[in-house]
Formats: sequence, structure tokens, C-alpha cells
Amino acid sequence: MAELGPVLEVLLGGLMSGVLYSLVALGFVLIFKASGVFNFAQGAMVLFAALSLVRLSEWLPFPVAIALTIAIMIALAWAVERLVLRPLVGQHGLILFMATIGVTFFLDGFGQTIWGSNVYQLDLGISASPWFLLENLFPGGILVSPVDVFAAAVAGSLVLALSIFFHSTKIGRALRAVADDHQAAQSVGIPLNQIWLIVWSTAGVVALVAGMAWGSKLGVQFSLSFVALKALPVLILGGLTSIPGAILGGLIVGAGEKLAEFYIGPAIGGGIEYWFAYVLALAVLLVRPQGLFGEKIIERV
Amino acid sequence: MAVASAPVATSAERAARRERRIGEVLLAVENISLRFGGVRALSNVSFDIRRGEIRAIIGPNGAGKSSMLNVINGFYQPQEGRIVWKGRVFTRMRPHEAAKGGIARTFQNIALFKGMSTLDNIMTGRILKMRASFLEQAFRIGRGRSEELRERAFVERIIDFLEITHIRHVPVGKLPYGLQKRVELARALAMEPELLLLDEPMAGMNLEEKEDMCRFILDVNEEFGTTVALIEHDMSVVMDISDRVVVLDYGRLLADGTPEEVRNDPAVIEAYLGVAHG
Amino acid sequence: MIYRETGQFRTSYAEDQAIFRLREDRIGIAAILAIAWVGVPLLADEYLLRAILIPFLILSLAAIGLNLLLGYCGQISLGTGAFMAVGAYSAYNLALRLPELPLLLDFFLAGLIAAGVGIVFGLPSFRIKGLYLAVATLALQFFADWAFLRVRWFTNYTPSGSVTAPVLDFFGWVVDTEREKYWLCLAFVCAIALLAKNLVRSRLGRSWMAIRDMDIAAEIIGIRPMHAKLSAFAVSSFVAGLAGVLWAFVHLGSWEPLAFSIDMSFRLLFMVIIGGMGSILGSFLGAAFITILPIFLNQAPAMIGIRLSTAMVSHLEFMIFGTLIVLFLIWEPHGLARLWQIGKEKMRLWPFPY
Repeated sequence: MAELGPVLEVLLGGLMSGVLYSLVALGFVLIFKASGVFNFAQGAMVLFAALSLVRLSEWLPFPVAIALTIAIMIALAWAVERLVLRPLVGQHGLILFMATIGVTFFLDGFGQTIWGSNVYQLDLGISASPWFLLENLFPGGILVSPVDVFAAAVAGSLVLALSIFFHSTKIGRALRAVADDHQAAQSVGIPLNQIWLIVWSTAGVVALVAGMAWGSKLGVQFSLSFVALKALPVLILGGLTSIPGAILGGLIVGAGEKLAEFYIGPAIGGGIEYWFAYVLALAVLLVRPQGLFGEKIIERV
Repeated sequence: MAVASAPVATSAERAARRERRIGEVLLAVENISLRFGGVRALSNVSFDIRRGEIRAIIGPNGAGKSSMLNVINGFYQPQEGRIVWKGRVFTRMRPHEAAKGGIARTFQNIALFKGMSTLDNIMTGRILKMRASFLEQAFRIGRGRSEELRERAFVERIIDFLEITHIRHVPVGKLPYGLQKRVELARALAMEPELLLLDEPMAGMNLEEKEDMCRFILDVNEEFGTTVALIEHDMSVVMDISDRVVVLDYGRLLADGTPEEVRNDPAVIEAYLGVAHG
Repeated sequence: MIYRETGQFRTSYAEDQAIFRLREDRIGIAAILAIAWVGVPLLADEYLLRAILIPFLILSLAAIGLNLLLGYCGQISLGTGAFMAVGAYSAYNLALRLPELPLLLDFFLAGLIAAGVGIVFGLPSFRIKGLYLAVATLALQFFADWAFLRVRWFTNYTPSGSVTAPVLDFFGWVVDTEREKYWLCLAFVCAIALLAKNLVRSRLGRSWMAIRDMDIAAEIIGIRPMHAKLSAFAVSSFVAGLAGVLWAFVHLGSWEPLAFSIDMSFRLLFMVIIGGMGSILGSFLGAAFITILPIFLNQAPAMIGIRLSTAMVSHLEFMIFGTLIVLFLIWEPHGLARLWQIGKEKMRLWPFPY
């Protein structure tokens, strides 16, 4: 049992950061489902949202800052829809993908120009001192960070809210129709542009939540944009179109990379976390190209 | 039947000439069944195509015509049945095997390489005939040079034949629909196929373009002896240029015979012509 | 009427297949080559050679490599920097561990090793498409970053992780002045650009483009997608690997793994998009643009009396790159190369617009 303590601790830590990957991946899936765009800029949106919030909250009450940040993310969604997506409607997926890389760079530069490029502390008012669980089972207990638990709880309720939204509201039904077939949805009178705006705004809000969670853990800084890139292998694992897939993929990646670091890291020089997720995703791709939960694509001629 | 009366020979003369030319069975599909999930696209379909003939495949929308062509050239793998191509038995054909074996095709919705010029599109049809090694191509020496010239000359003959000399260097994405169809035919011809599969070669064309296309198909068949299997909706065209007709309906074989036989088949009139012409 | 096509008849297919069909183009390229080989080395000072022209040439080479893959074969790669790194570290280790081999052979072998890695990481492209491939190549990028930092054998156990290139001795010709380095890079660039141009107008290039434009149609004319994609990966990574060797050995001299990070990969992607996908000329234009823009941003504001911090300049750079990518994708996906062509067509008619 003495051996199990540290392993459980590593596993739990991994699952917690996995939840954060899931949060970023969730934004990707939303946009991909509704508009078929593989939005590379999701990571940049996370950084941008976090930066906006942290700087605004310096001179505004926190709830006002959050409301204002949400407004900014909606404005951003509007701008992206109007200036980037609409002119590129009907283009090849690869072109749209590269356009979102352009958006990523613009957003990274723009965010740091107006909000500054230092490391900012985001204080959500949660105690930073860790909790020790199961002290009676393991010597010293298992160390858990309250921030992680909070993030996991937020992520959980967000997923719940989104699935209710998708399945029980009129907008949600329209979204699913659009995801199935753009043209058919348009022909029954679903306004595509509005749907995209809603989806990108939702993704913006998801990015804000992810940004808050990451920011309170690591501090709000440029490197968030790269941490968010880890959401890509998460997506591959889970399948591009599956929300449960994004969640599970995140947990697998989070736990997997921490455990790999713990077990084989020391033998090959450490730092496995840096690439483990990607190589895992690559291996899954070779066996199951549509991801663990993705829909199989049938090609028609 | 005005559509195909343009060619020099009368129908009777042509029929007589073809009679002499049509040879042994080139391709036979035997008991082909194809399903997508729960949907049956083809059930137990068998027919053959003889060397040198023009074979039409007709049927209402969704009858499985395009699926049949896709089975023949290896896009779809049938769950049951087999294909006999030039005496060799295949339970599944792969697209590149079909291409190598001498089967070329065109698509219902044109499948050209949009970013390339007309000439380059047609040159891709010669890829299987070219043998230059990597280094010969990179340094443009030996076969890397001579093949380009030889194949270019070959392709130019097809360009002449199909009367598209003026659009040689134009990117195909910029061409009107009718010309794109012609370039696609040119690319298929560049493969020097023994069997040419044409999926609705005249769909969406005006009368003049249809006449041109009919003439090209007949000329290809007569001058190069190429066997042609085509899907077409225009019944007058089908009845006029084809030697034998296969009728599919809901994935089943409904009738198979000469145009006259098929036209008078009660099942066909019921299922297809009856609906189409009221 | 600078360009006059009239009166220039091409009487054989060989003439029609020439790279430069018009007399004006042939004169133009001869002039450019003369300036590049003779004029520039005579006139340019050391700073210009070292800080602008040599990096420009090497990045052009890497951009050609990526363009073969992305622009001609339609396979995206976010890991070009990793292929360059593989080339650089291969050459370093070859020179270190097999000193008897001539340096030129080291370069060539390093390219081949990069090509091999390219094939391995191109293998998933058979099963996955477009966006998934982006992640697969990203995997290579992160893995390479890590491997060259943490697996100390690659860096010969140097304590800092930074390595230094050997003396550039090509069969007795020791390349040590900036001018000689420039000539060396120029020679590689000219040779590879010509070979690449030959490839894309041959069978192989056409099969790449066929896969890019419509892979299903490519299959029915007998192109094997696997073969076409892997060959594109191999050739592309060979060229990128060679560019990596030059970047490390000639431009940097000594370097750390950071030199080939994901930043490099994105920078090259931008060169190809802005320069023109599917154009060898575009690779040069894109490389020139991306090399010059930061220098311009650094100096132009100062000239008109505005002082910007370094951080500010780099943020501006990000914003401008991002904006340009989107604008080019919307308005001119064939990039600067296409704009150049349109300009030439205008010149052909000038001064009579009809």
C-alpha cells in the first residue's frame, strides 16, 4: 500500500490536468461540429480570454470583469465569423484550418499588445494550500490541489449545461441540424451565420472558463497558448465530433502523460509530458483513424 | 433519333460493321451484391460486356448504376459475387489494378484536377505508361526527357481528336461544364483503355454538345476499337448508339438485351419507361 | 510592351515544355542569376550577407521543401522545423563520428536521413487526411524538440546542449568568409530549385498534384496514393533536411535545439502561404517577405521617430503575419507568385490594356 500512494497521487493529478485539456478540446469540438472548421485558434482564444479577464479585474469588480470578458469573446466570435469565415465559405477544410492559424497569430499578438505580456496572477479566491486526502490509508495522504478540484467541478457542470443546451433547446436542435448537413439545414430556414456566431461565442465562453482554470493554476501568460495545443491530441483520441470523446480523451491524455513521466520518464531523461500526448494520439490514429469515439467517414464517389 | 444521326455512316451500316467487330466476353460481373450498412445498393446482379461493343446501363435514379461502375473499377467492394476481367477472376478489384488492367472511367460529377491545366490533366492519364526513374525526372535526362516528349505527342493527338487544342494551357477549373466533360474523356482516353466506363457523359449538356459527345463516343469505339460501357438517361441516345442495354431497378437486374428487346420488355416499360414517359 | 509574345513561335514540344518559354523571361532569369552570382557578392557588405541574404537563401530552400509537400501534394506539415533539425543533427553526428567522410557526403546523407524520417511520419497520411495529418506532424515537432534536448548522445554530451559545426571544408575549399558562405548557399539553392522545378513538371509532380486536387480521381488513373504521398514526404523532408544543415552549419555555426522549434515550422508555413502554394518562385518571394518584414518593423518606426519596444515589435509581427495569412487565403491563395504573374500579364499588354 505504501507504493500505491504516490501512484494514486500522480494519477489524480493527471486526471485533474486532463480535465483542463478537455475544456480546451470542448471548444474545438463545438466549432468543428457546427461549422466543420478545425479551429486552431482555440488555444489563442483561451489565452486571450484569460488575459482580458485578469487585466480587467485589476480595476473592475470581478463579476463585471467576467461579464465584460464574455462580451469581448462574443465580439471576437462576431469578427471571426464576419471577417474570416464568411469570405471563405465553401473552401477546402485545409484552407480554413490555415486561416485559423492566421487568427491564432493575430490574436496572440493583439492580446499581448493591448493587455501586456507579463505573467499575471489570477486569483479566484480559492485557497492555494493543498488538501491531504485519505491520510489514514497512506502515509502523508494524497496531495490534491483545491484549484484542480474547482476546475474539475466547473468543467463537469459546463459539460452538463452544454449537453442540456444541445439536446433540449431549439437552438441546440438547429445546431445539430447544421452539423449534419449545412445545405439541408439552410434549406429548411436555419440561418447559418447566426448559428456560427452562437457556436463561436459559446466556444469563446468555454475558452474563458478554460483560461480561468489554467490561469489560476499556471498564471496567465503566453505559454498558455501552447499548453492549449495539447487539446489537439486529445481531440484525435476522442474523435473530432464527440463531446464525451473530448472529455474522456482529456482524462486519458492527462493521466497517461503523468503516469508515463512517473514510470518511464526517469529512464529516458524526463520531459516525456512534452510529447507523450502527441505520440499516443499518433498511435491511436494508426489503429483507428476516426478516433476512439468519432464517427466513421464513408466516402462517396 | 436525330441526336446521333450526325456520324457519316447510317445506323444500318454501322450496325453491320459492329457485328463483325464485337468479340469475346471482356468483362463479366457475376452475382454482385453490395450493401452500405443496411442499404442494399446492388443485389445479385450479373451481366457481361463483350469486346468492342457499346453497352448501356440504364435505370431510374437510385437504381445502382453508378455503384455498378464503382464496383467494376474497384471503388466499392461488393460483399458477394466476383468480377471476371479478361479471363482473370477478382473477388475484389483495386482502383489501381483496374487502371493497370485497362479500365478507365469518367464521373457523373466531373472529377478533374482543378488546379492543373487541360494538358497536365490529360498527361496524368499517361502516368502508367511512363517509366523514368526519380533521378531521370529530377535531372530531366534520359527517359525523363524523352518520355515527356513522346507522351506529349501522344496526348496532342487526343487533344486534336476531341477538338480542344485552344484550351490546352487553360486551368480546367476555369473551363465551362461541357468542355470539362470533354477534358475528362480525353484523360480517360489517354490511358488507352480497353474498357471505357462513362458515367452520364451527356448529363447537363445542350443538344449540340450532346451530338458532339455522341460522335466522339462512336468514333472512339470505331477507330480505336475501345469497348464502352455508359450510363445515360437520354433514352434516344441510348437506343441509338448502344449495342446492348442492361436495365437496373432498385439494385436488381431487370432486363438485358438489344435496345429493341429492352424497349419492348413489359417489365421495363412498367418500371422505367412507363414512369418516365407516362 | 515589355513582354511581347507575338513572333515567338514554339515549333517543337521540347520548346513548349521549357521552363521559361518567353525570351523576356529567359533574359530576366539570366540577369537575376548574374546579379546573384557576381553583382551581389561584389557589392553587398558583410552585414547584408550574414543577416539577410544567407538566411533568405536557406529559408527559401526550406520553403521549397514545404511547398513540394503542401503546395504540390496538398499534405499539411506543421513539423518542417523538425525535419530541418533532423538534417542538422544528422550532419553534425556524421561529421563528428565518421570524420573520414567528405563534408558534402555528410550533407547528402543528412538529407537522406531526414527523408527517411519524413517517410516514417508520412505513413499516417495514408490513413488520415488534412487536419489529422497536422497533428501527426506536430507530434514529430514536439518529439524532435524533446529528443535533441534530452537524448544527450545527439549533442555528444556537451554540458550546455549547444553544439558547434565543424570547419566547412569542401575537398580543400574552406568556406569561412561571408561571401563564400553566400556562394555555397546560392549553389545549393540554385541546384535544388532546378531539380524541384524538373520534378514538378514530370510524372512525379503531376501525380502529387493529382492527389492534391482529387485523390479519388487520381486513384482511377492508376496513381497509388500511398506512393505519391510518401514520395512527396521524402523529397520534401530531404530538401528541408538539407536546409537545416545549411541553417546550422553555415548560418548559425553553433546552435541549440530551440533553433528548430515550432516557431520555425510556422514561419515556413507562412512563407509558403504568402509566397504562393504550388509555386517554386513563390517559395523565394515568401522567404524574402518573411525575412525582411521583421527587419523593416525594427527599423521603419525608428526612422519616422517612433520608438517601439522589442516586445512590441514582435507582437506587431504576429499580428501582421496573422492578418496577411487570412487576407492571402481569402483573396489570393496562390500568393505573391500569382500577383507577380498577373503583373506580368499586365506588362504583356501594356501600354494597351486590350
